[in-house]
Amino acid sequence: MIQFTLNGQAVQTDVDPNTPLLWVVRDHFKLKGSKFGCGAGLCGACTMHVDGAAIKTCVTPIAAVASKSITTIEGLGTPEDLHPLQAAWHEYAVPQCGYCQSGQIMAAAALLDANPNPSSDEIDAAMAGNICRCGCYPRIKRAIQSVSENALAYDAMAQTEGSA
Amino acid sequence: MNTVNVSRRRLLQATAVTGGGLVVGFAFTGCSSAPAPLPVASTEGAWTPNAFLQVLPDNTIRFYTARSEMGQGVTTGLATLIGEELDVNPLNMDIRLAGAHEDYVNPAFGMQGTGGSSSIRAHYMQLRQVGANIRGLILEAAAQDLGVSALALSTDNGFVLHGDERHPYAAFVETAQSLSIEADAPLKPASQFQYISQETKRVDAIAKATGTAEFGIDVDVPDMHYAVIVRPPVARAKAQSVNAANAKANPGVINIFEVSTGVAVVAETFWQAKQAAAKIEVQWESMPLDSVDTETLRRDYAAALDANDGVEGPVEGDIDEALQSAAKTHEAEYWAPLLSHSPMEPMNAVVRIDGDKADVWTGIQFPSAVPGLVSRVADIPAENVRFHQTYLGGGFGRRGSPSHIIEAAEIAKAIGKPIQLVWTREDDIQQGPFRPASLMRIKAGVDNDGNLIAWDAARAGADISPDTFRSLLPALYSWMGDGMIEGVANLSEWYFEKFATDESSTEGLFEDYDHPNTRVTHMTVDHELPMTFWRAVGHSYTAFAKESMIDEIAEAAGMDEVSFRLQNTQNTPRLNNVIRVAGEHMAKMNPPEGHHLGFAAHHSFYTDVAEIAEVSVENGKIRVHKVTCVLDCGQAVNPDIVRAQIEGGVVYGLTAALYGVLNLERGAIKESNFHDYPMLRMNESPEIEVVIIDSGTKPTGVGEPGLPPIAPAVANAVYKATGQRLRSLPLQLT
Repeated sequence: MIQFTLNGQAVQTDVDPNTPLLWVVRDHFKLKGSKFGCGAGLCGACTMHVDGAAIKTCVTPIAAVASKSITTIEGLGTPEDLHPLQAAWHEYAVPQCGYCQSGQIMAAAALLDANPNPSSDEIDAAMAGNICRCGCYPRIKRAIQSVSENALAYDAMAQTEGSA
Repeated sequence: MNTVNVSRRRLLQATAVTGGGLVVGFAFTGCSSAPAPLPVASTEGAWTPNAFLQVLPDNTIRFYTARSEMGQGVTTGLATLIGEELDVNPLNMDIRLAGAHEDYVNPAFGMQGTGGSSSIRAHYMQLRQVGANIRGLILEAAAQDLGVSALALSTDNGFVLHGDERHPYAAFVETAQSLSIEADAPLKPASQFQYISQETKRVDAIAKATGTAEFGIDVDVPDMHYAVIVRPPVARAKAQSVNAANAKANPGVINIFEVSTGVAVVAETFWQAKQAAAKIEVQWESMPLDSVDTETLRRDYAAALDANDGVEGPVEGDIDEALQSAAKTHEAEYWAPLLSHSPMEPMNAVVRIDGDKADVWTGIQFPSAVPGLVSRVADIPAENVRFHQTYLGGGFGRRGSPSHIIEAAEIAKAIGKPIQLVWTREDDIQQGPFRPASLMRIKAGVDNDGNLIAWDAARAGADISPDTFRSLLPALYSWMGDGMIEGVANLSEWYFEKFATDESSTEGLFEDYDHPNTRVTHMTVDHELPMTFWRAVGHSYTAFAKESMIDEIAEAAGMDEVSFRLQNTQNTPRLNNVIRVAGEHMAKMNPPEGHHLGFAAHHSFYTDVAEIAEVSVENGKIRVHKVTCVLDCGQAVNPDIVRAQIEGGVVYGLTAALYGVLNLERGAIKESNFHDYPMLRMNESPEIEVVIIDSGTKPTGVGEPGLPPIAPAVANAVYKATGQRLRSLPLQLT
């Protein structure tokens, strides 16, 4: 029996300990927001937080997250109570097909948690593990910047300049 | 593809309401009797005036989107069209994805399909008219109920206004149902648009940002089991022997058996099915394709071009004489490889067969095909097959091919349980259907004044349409037996090989420039790999050849790329204008040292696009810093979604231009996942600026037209940076 925390709730499962976290979350706990894209840790559609770090869960055996804390896109925010990144995704009309966006947002949230003020290059580096076939990259970057402290600083600067 | 020209009268027929149902204006089957019931939710007290709308008692306006939402924003776009005239904010609508029904036919091609960048163009008048007619009906009902003249009433976002009173539309539904509708209620002039042309948000963004948008792969029904298929490395090979003894002993495995495309493994979970599949040993039959490598394709295409015995057309003027008399001529050969679409959501479908009824859940571009295909496999009437559309995790043409639905139905029937079939990423990249490889040769000639006078263009490669036709035939002609379908499919292949050029094979190779002497020749060379439409279809490779050649012949004529294009597009004025505007943008650009600008322009899907790529080459690596796109797509219904589609087209096309190649080795695709079939990532993605020219005409395509110019724009910039003229995709410096 493997025990862990899923979106703040203590849970347990007796699946084969080699089963990837992604499939445990999708097929056993029926949280379908995290996606299967490649099965090889190459595209990031399956990204969740494990103890706060963005992890490719299609190649993470469930045994490896025993007693750890897992957050999925469902645990980050809901349509009624959006995380600031989710609100920015709406504001900047980021998603196209939307399939990769759970993973994109989880990767971005982990970045901002660790580095609330990322440079453009730091955003690139943190997001390079997440593929978007629809080509939403410019908007993803803009949305991340909009909720980073940098953006607040820039906004304040722009307002000062505007009033001067 | 069956093309239906839609007259205004037919449009009005389609939007006329009688009783509770829609008069069907575009019946695909032609001879059907009573219209089938609409596949819409039955909600107590809801009014369903037609296939697109429901008004609920709480005044929720529910919109059924007839086109497949694969990211192109069509749901927002269509909701905007109907909402504009109905006077309901599209963002306030309850959005539903439509099931399969003849009322959801795409007016552009006579069946329920989404593709060809057609949706907004095809529905622009139709859905506005539907919205206007229903608003008119509600106003008339309100006038009766309130005992006032309709002229005293106005509307505002789902409410009828009378003086200071605001009455929800739902209040007048009962009376509205007893009235007959005006078939051609007046439409708003553009100057009164509230939603069209505005920067509204997407209706699906919150669902997609919170993981709550349902894709096919997310569907879960009671007692659902999971299936994967062990597939032949070489297309269409059948299993000669199967050793599944080890796999059968794996935990969770329910059954292992052969299906039409390989060996199916059914288990309690996807992971168990995938683990078991890895233990199955299959001996596959040998195929003629076993002897084909990537080099074979190119060699066979070159031999066909040398033999020059293909199908000609169009031919204008005297090309041989023109090439002889030209002041300068230039000839070159261009190559584009096989490609996979690789949408982020791998193919999947849920099928449940219960007695003589079946349910199918998936996201697909051709819902029309589903009932017919599943009815054949399950041996039940097509009208007993219910299709439940989901969001599509990317389409790009790939979800126009329905083979995964046939497979899922075969498996569900065999085991008597609802099943979800999931393709792995390896299946996706290796199995196709593919974007065909192409070898193109162009000979061009100019006179002393820089006029393009001769254009002799040829393409060799596989055709796209006959394969897709073959996959849809069994669905569309349910009365045909398997033998007859095979015969008709073979006939269509033979026809395109011998008598007519499949338009998709050469589109974009010759249409854009003024050349009085023109010859286009097509050589069908088919190695029996499965093919289908890939974003921008033929334009995805022809634009590379054409726009590279235009830069080359412009240089031979001693002219700059923009002046040459302007001078030689007098007969294509909208393209000419786009080139002019883009040229003005380019003239103002001041790229840093080491950065070079490449230009390309192309007309596709009724839209004109010019792109300028700012490129540097460092240590042999091509880096694209910025792309500026100028386009004329007529009325931009949602300018921000237009920009998003152009950005997406550029990134999709840039992935192909810089990385995209599938290699054949003894008939099998060598690449297998994103490590060896790489995609452009954020750190390689350029800044993209989109300039929309508002020409005030009706809308034209945007999903695909952003893609074709990007590869030649980059190649033209690389030439300036290095002097190397790259004529093979992907672009790689030697």
